[in-house]
Amino acid sequence: MHPFDIRAVLLAKHAQHVVLIHFPIALFIVGVLFDFLAQWKKQHLLATVAYYNLFVAAISTIPVVVTGILAWQWELEGQKLKGILLMHLVMGCMSSVLICLVWFIHRKTQGKQGKVLPGYRLPIEAVAAVLVAVTGHLGGFLSGVNGPG
Amino acid sequence: MRRSVFVVIGSALLTIGFVMVVDGRGGFASSAQDKASTTEVKIDNFSFGPAAITVGVGSTVTWINRDDIPHTVVSTDDPKAFKSKVLDTDEKFSFTFTRAGTFPYFCSIHPKMTGKVIVQ
Repeated sequence: MHPFDIRAVLLAKHAQHVVLIHFPIALFIVGVLFDFLAQWKKQHLLATVAYYNLFVAAISTIPVVVTGILAWQWELEGQKLKGILLMHLVMGCMSSVLICLVWFIHRKTQGKQGKVLPGYRLPIEAVAAVLVAVTGHLGGFLSGVNGPG
Repeated sequence: MRRSVFVVIGSALLTIGFVMVVDGRGGFASSAQDKASTTEVKIDNFSFGPAAITVGVGSTVTWINRDDIPHTVVSTDDPKAFKSKVLDTDEKFSFTFTRAGTFPYFCSIHPKMTGKVIVQ
């Protein structure tokens, strides 16, 4: 497939998931880094940057989950999954929920005077970041990025 | 007495000869059948090996996944001649080709993995 063959890329039944997944991964990890920096440096601006990264990360999980499930239904005809594929599916769903949860925690205080972000968000963000990394690792393993193809 | 000995020896020789002929035919038949009917394709390191095989009509091809990750074996024609479930490590999928033709196939998880079965 030619990389600039838009038609082929759009019609490839499970290529979209592999492309789109990079957005929430990158945005979430950067968002968490900014939030930890904001906590450490006590800078409101960094917290705002973290919020917008987490916001877009949460939104971008929707097409990722949809295309992932469509890939399962189209390419594998929805057959019962096991092993790495099942782990990737379960951990992917858990990662998406945690990304949205982290954004929701931030949203409750964003733009509100006197509201402070709760401290418990940090361990949640750390766990979510690890889960995202492991899910991404499994996805890369499955897609064969290290293979000869 | 001498006649009885000849009859016994003759019968024994006939029996041995008959058994050898039958066994020989069976052995010949089964070895020819094995050649025609059993072909294995190994899936390893994101590739099918051998990528192209030629078999006879009625032959069964078995794909075995020796890779660390799951793969599938799906024919590219429409309607699909064959389609495996997801094969984890060491799992097998077999299909018997009952008609002549060329059957290209691929792994639906890794579409760059392709192969071909030529049935003559």
